[in-house]
Amino acid sequence: MNAVEMSKNGYLLLFHSNNWWQDLGRENLEKIVAQNNAWIERLMTAGKAKGGQALTRTGAMVSGKNGQIISDGPFAESKEVIGGYLLLNVETFAEATAVARTSPSLAYGAKVEVRPLTDACPLDARLQELARADEIAVA
Amino acid sequence: MLLFVGMDWHKGLSPEQMQKVSEEWMEWFKHLTEEGKAVAGHPLGFEGRGISGRNGHVTDGPFAEAKEVVGGYFLLDVPTMDEAVAIARQCPGLPCGAKVEVRPVLLNCPLNPANKIEETLAVTK
Repeated sequence: MNAVEMSKNGYLLLFHSNNWWQDLGRENLEKIVAQNNAWIERLMTAGKAKGGQALTRTGAMVSGKNGQIISDGPFAESKEVIGGYLLLNVETFAEATAVARTSPSLAYGAKVEVRPLTDACPLDARLQELARADEIAVA
Repeated sequence: MLLFVGMDWHKGLSPEQMQKVSEEWMEWFKHLTEEGKAVAGHPLGFEGRGISGRNGHVTDGPFAEAKEVVGGYFLLDVPTMDEAVAIARQCPGLPCGAKVEVRPVLLNCPLNPANKIEETLAVTK
């Protein structure tokens, strides 16, 4: 099993949302909330999830050399944004994916992204890649 | 919550520049943690899986293209959006083209059953 398939730091589920619940009636909404609650509760009890939160659709995007460009939220209704996250305490991609596949929100059109938590930041990882390439070139 | 958007902005940097930004970034997080303003944070691997549809169809790779993919996050414990934005503006990756999305955490959303912040904090401390 390679590094991609395992992560000792666990995995992050990112819930992509375009307000898929907006058009659900009260009954459906209550049902999905109950299903979702039960789902999270089960994962917590089993020790497979260790925390998560929902994010508002408001927000700001900071960019530019000194962070001088600040565009304000809220994000347009139709735009897909990350609506929440759940930290998983599982060690393999396969298990994280299996957990994601049981999310009750999928039936309503939600999308879930599974990403490993890493030790090295992407820059460090790239530096290591470059160092390895140099070693190969020297050899 | 700060979401660091984009996983390709560092590609054009020299190894020295990358080293420098990486060190500054770690120092920044350490400082915020010591001040109690950051309570969790992690880089994310570029690999990903996307799950969608009633039957949980699995696709390889994150949903977005490299410039829009989330490369990491900080969970901040600050009371105002202004303070969160001020912190985001200190991100050492900004001069290189990184983007930081600042998003308030929703505490009492009916669709947010996962309000286990205490557990999150307990694990990350």
